[in-house]
Amino acid sequence: MSDERGIPRREFLKSAIAIGGAAAFSACLGREEVDVPTGPDDLSSYPQRQHAWNEVLPRDDHGNVIAPSHRVLLYLNYRRDGQPNEDDRDQVETALRGIEHAYERSGDGLLLTVSYSPAYFDRFDDSLPDDVDLPDPEALAPFEEPEFDTPDAVVHLASNTAQVVLGAEEALKGNKSTLNGVDQPDAALTDVFSLADRRTGFIGDGLPAENADDAEGVPADKVPEDAPLFMGFKSGFKKNQASEERVTIQSGPFAGGTTQHISKLRLNLNQWYNQDDRWQREAKMFCPYHAENDVVEGTGDNLGTSSKIDDCQPTDETAREMGVIGHSQKSARARDDDDSPLILRRDFDSTDDGAASLHFLALQRRITDFVDTREAMNGTDVTEQSAVGQRNNNGILQYIRTERRGNFLVPSRSLRALPPAQPTGDAQEVTHESS
Amino acid sequence: MNRRDVLRVAGSGSLVGLAGCAGLFETQSAQAPPLPENRPDAVYYPTHYEGMKMPGMKEQGGYRCALTYSYAHRFWLMKPNGITKVEIQSEDSIHLMPVVWETHTGIIPPDINPQLTITQSGDSIDQFAPWPMLSQPMGFHFGDNAQLKGDGTYTVEVSIGGPSTRRTGSLAENQGNASFTFEFEFSESTLNEISYTDIPDDREGTKGAVDLMDMEMLPSSQVPTPDALPGDVRGSGTSGDAKFVVTILEDASRFGGDENQRYLAVSPRTPYNRTLLPMMSLSGTLHRDGTSVFDGILQATIDPELRYHYGATVADVRTGDELTITVDSPPQTARHEGYETAFVDMPDVQVTL
Ligand code: HEM
Repeated sequence: MSDERGIPRREFLKSAIAIGGAAAFSACLGREEVDVPTGPDDLSSYPQRQHAWNEVLPRDDHGNVIAPSHRVLLYLNYRRDGQPNEDDRDQVETALRGIEHAYERSGDGLLLTVSYSPAYFDRFDDSLPDDVDLPDPEALAPFEEPEFDTPDAVVHLASNTAQVVLGAEEALKGNKSTLNGVDQPDAALTDVFSLADRRTGFIGDGLPAENADDAEGVPADKVPEDAPLFMGFKSGFKKNQASEERVTIQSGPFAGGTTQHISKLRLNLNQWYNQDDRWQREAKMFCPYHAENDVVEGTGDNLGTSSKIDDCQPTDETAREMGVIGHSQKSARARDDDDSPLILRRDFDSTDDGAASLHFLALQRRITDFVDTREAMNGTDVTEQSAVGQRNNNGILQYIRTERRGNFLVPSRSLRALPPAQPTGDAQEVTHESS
Repeated sequence: MNRRDVLRVAGSGSLVGLAGCAGLFETQSAQAPPLPENRPDAVYYPTHYEGMKMPGMKEQGGYRCALTYSYAHRFWLMKPNGITKVEIQSEDSIHLMPVVWETHTGIIPPDINPQLTITQSGDSIDQFAPWPMLSQPMGFHFGDNAQLKGDGTYTVEVSIGGPSTRRTGSLAENQGNASFTFEFEFSESTLNEISYTDIPDDREGTKGAVDLMDMEMLPSSQVPTPDALPGDVRGSGTSGDAKFVVTILEDASRFGGDENQRYLAVSPRTPYNRTLLPMMSLSGTLHRDGTSVFDGILQATIDPELRYHYGATVADVRTGDELTITVDSPPQTARHEGYETAFVDMPDVQVTL
């Protein structure tokens, strides 16, 4: 950090997020020439759904939501044993409002969610209402053995502006008296929680190629210059994502909330780029039909608003006849009666611990929806009946290894500060004195 | 003679007179001589073959695992419309092969894809899932080229998960995960002690195969000779240079049928070495007097007696029945030299039972 001269600006911004801290933040201020508007004094118009990000995010030429490029996940443990008290709740809510006053809610500004694990809810005598499907995390394939994340809470900070993510984090840690010119409350999230883990990442055109040098084993010259993800393809097309409505819990005291699954996937890009060829990458990411017919140009922006998975043959037929099946093709078997995917993917790449990986963050109404989707992606049913292997020729399973899994509840906004397991009263009416 | 010597002496006459071949001998990366010309669409003698070393063997949860390695190799990956050649990269140090087998039966399950993590003093060096592969001297194995950081001690963790191919008999019980950790002392000089045998010019590229290595402590990936297969062996056929042996078992109850049904089993193998040929999509039809009495897939199955094979339950089988085996997908394993042109184009196999 001491010698910042000579580092290209964008290059610097990405590593700043990974490094974090006050020095990274102040260095960012000088380098990112942006003026992020402050948030309103009155936050009462903010949506109850913490996960309602799409309306304020920019869209590409086709109308696909562009995921915010810089991310931090703060894994937190509640310092108090037993049930939370009102003082702690106030403290959390006040700290969160501090950063919301400092930065507007937008792609260039700040987007955040606060979520809680099953381990957190274990402290209550009541169990969660039936409307909430939030089991402990478990292994989701016969061939994986992940470790489980059991901290109490996860705060997800996201922005297209690196300094916003870093500034918000510093303020939540009580390290800032003013942020973006806005006075910060005398309340730190870290007074109530201890930091168990900090994970960082990025997504967006060109960022993986720029970050390739930060991680061991990434063939830097092979990751396409304009790819939004390490594996080289565009992801998150409008028609291949669940809507925010689709993933929202519909009834009970946690109505308006959603569940969140976060896994950490380690990537093996050497085989992907140095051993497989383009045909194989396209077939394994989408489906053999796409590879055969050159459906995907470059990173796949030409696909428009969908991965055109309807053009692929049924997965089991492809498996039998081609011996190889695509990730998108398989995963699209997990759809509901309206043909909507079950999960809303908000994943991003990472070079945490010096390894190329992906934080696969997904929102869904019930954790079961994620489990079903992952089962479709495993394709175990298909491997039993065809030449497709457990990993070999089985979408992208050859190249990803699940290291960690965690499940969380993202409650509605009014319940985001240390919620009880059985909230009483109408969630929508809860207000906070400072708004 | 070791590999360096062979290359130095240019014992492979085919290299003599090749422009720029001196450079080939000097660099560590260019370890593979040029491929033979006019390779047949069949199993052929490669340019050379190599031995291997075994730094250790471990046992856990009903499985044994041996860590073995050799020189970095070129190999081929399968595609529906051909093959992709994987060249040795300059960073590749060795070809690493974790061999995992079921302790009781000695079966090497092709469906259990090990994961490798290589570390040195806690630092991550490399991690990957090796490819399922076919090689003449090694048989079926999992392997890939690994990139080490020179001489030193490495920790290699091999982890395996549950199966994904149907198992029958006593094998059905073995479902668990296991992991094996090896301390691996690597040095360039030990690597160079591994034998490297050149195959004479007039032989390389001609039909045939080098023998399976004699791997004292390791089980083999061979399937039984026709005589040793259980049931009534009713015939065999060839396709893409692979041999398909057909046997009929009287009682299909072990295979999801009932005791009044028959089990039709197809056991494909490589010529010469009898190595199993896994990861195919096979289907079959059975015709009797011009009418179809069976039409369905032959499911890959691992059985303690039949070993790895493909099979289906049928009502009954009569002398003179016409069996057609269709290869919907050839073996999707990666291939080492000498196997990459065989088992690719595989027409139907007809067998009169
Ligand atoms: C390295 C990791 C991954 C990469 C690079 C990746 C990439 C992609 C790409 C390029 C697509 C098609 C384009 C689109 O987004 O519409 C896709 C679709 C999808 N992926 Fe992944 N993915 C990854 C991991 C996962 C995981 C772990 C899951 C969890 C089950 C998952 C679930 C899905 C789903 C549900 C779809 C859409 C299927 C549909 O159309 O219904 N992906 N992914």
